[in-house]
Amino acid sequence: MRTSTPSFSDLIKTPIATIIILLAISLSFLFLPPKLSNRVKMTCVVPVRPLQWATCFCSNSANNFLDKVFSGWRNAHVKKQLEEQVSRFKNKILEQQDTIYKLQSKLYTISKFQAENKSKTKPVPADIIGYDSLAFRKSITVNAGSNHGVKPNDIVVSNNALIGKVVLVSGGSCVVQLITDPASRIPGRVLQTREQVIVEGNATGLCQLKYVPRWAKLKKGDDIVSSDIGGFFPSSLPIATVVETEVKGGDLFQSVKVLPRVNISKIEHVLVLTK
Amino acid sequence: MRWFTFFCILLGISLFQSTLMNWINIGSAAPDLYFPLVIFYSFLADIKRNTIANWFVGMSKDLFSEGSFGINSVFFVATGFFVWSIRGILFRGHLVTQVLVTFIFSCIYNILYAVHATLSFHSLGLSATIWTIFTCSLYTAMIVPVLFWIFSKLQPVQEVFPR
Repeated sequence: MRTSTPSFSDLIKTPIATIIILLAISLSFLFLPPKLSNRVKMTCVVPVRPLQWATCFCSNSANNFLDKVFSGWRNAHVKKQLEEQVSRFKNKILEQQDTIYKLQSKLYTISKFQAENKSKTKPVPADIIGYDSLAFRKSITVNAGSNHGVKPNDIVVSNNALIGKVVLVSGGSCVVQLITDPASRIPGRVLQTREQVIVEGNATGLCQLKYVPRWAKLKKGDDIVSSDIGGFFPSSLPIATVVETEVKGGDLFQSVKVLPRVNISKIEHVLVLTK
Repeated sequence: MRWFTFFCILLGISLFQSTLMNWINIGSAAPDLYFPLVIFYSFLADIKRNTIANWFVGMSKDLFSEGSFGINSVFFVATGFFVWSIRGILFRGHLVTQVLVTFIFSCIYNILYAVHATLSFHSLGLSATIWTIFTCSLYTAMIVPVLFWIFSKLQPVQEVFPR
């Protein structure tokens, strides 16, 4: 009986070879340097961005239309606008309060330096065009990219409150890692007690504070603002509000849960602060 | 299996998952629309087409999410292969089987992804993660009847799901 060695074309037709080839491609993407894999990702997804924008636009329009229909009955629209204004003013007040604390603490020179740095930022308005498709990651896609001067690590705010930082940028869009993402770590300060904390995301609607000493007197309703320690984030941007504190047995640090000041599912636009 | 239809379904799911999720989220529970597609093709297609389809589904999910590029395609190819290998002992035409298989494998997939996220970032709380896994998997399983009905209308699957 005559036997022959299978050719390469025969080999790649077998299911096992298909599985191995596809897994090898996926694994090679996994082990690529993050910069390169991110570039591949952003390039592949560029053609779909206009569709994403259109879908989001239609969704927002439909949402607004339904909102208006209901608000015609109960004046909910006016109330919503007023609530938004109140929220914005509250955040403004928080920011001002923080500056007063700083002046009282004789850190005038540093705060002036920070204010100068702040004025160097140029806000770029952007629409949200997409959300993360994973349950355990929290990011959004906005329609401002390198063409608008956006760079990785730029800060993103909404209603004067911090919502995240830019992680991936393409020509016309960028991906923003939200403060609720498990990879997010933001240096912060408790406004009332001046404790230094790290705000960490955990893929839920809430964030947690790390390294809060057990003797720190935090209470529900305390405000967390950003700190410029590390030079990465501007200071005094409202981040979140304390909703729950717990001191467990012999732990060195308290377990503190905070609620972000901006509910990302309720906003349509953000400001990217370009440097 | 029509590849053009498959890619249209995939594009539709990607757009819906990445833009309109706020419309159907219930609290923290967000359904994963990609996962029923993986189960559907694992039930329907032969091993080769099933693998290729699941790889594309995984890649699509990777493209529209933050995190390691390629991880979901590995998970989905593995899930698809496993479901395909046990489908002979399942009554895959029955709705309960489809819902249960989706729920079980969605739980396993979410647990694996949560382990990966925990090892990478050390910031996921145990109770919140378990709750998220359960609610998301349950929600994903609950929408299976609707999605399978839509998929079977778009793909010629009479031999698997008799009328």
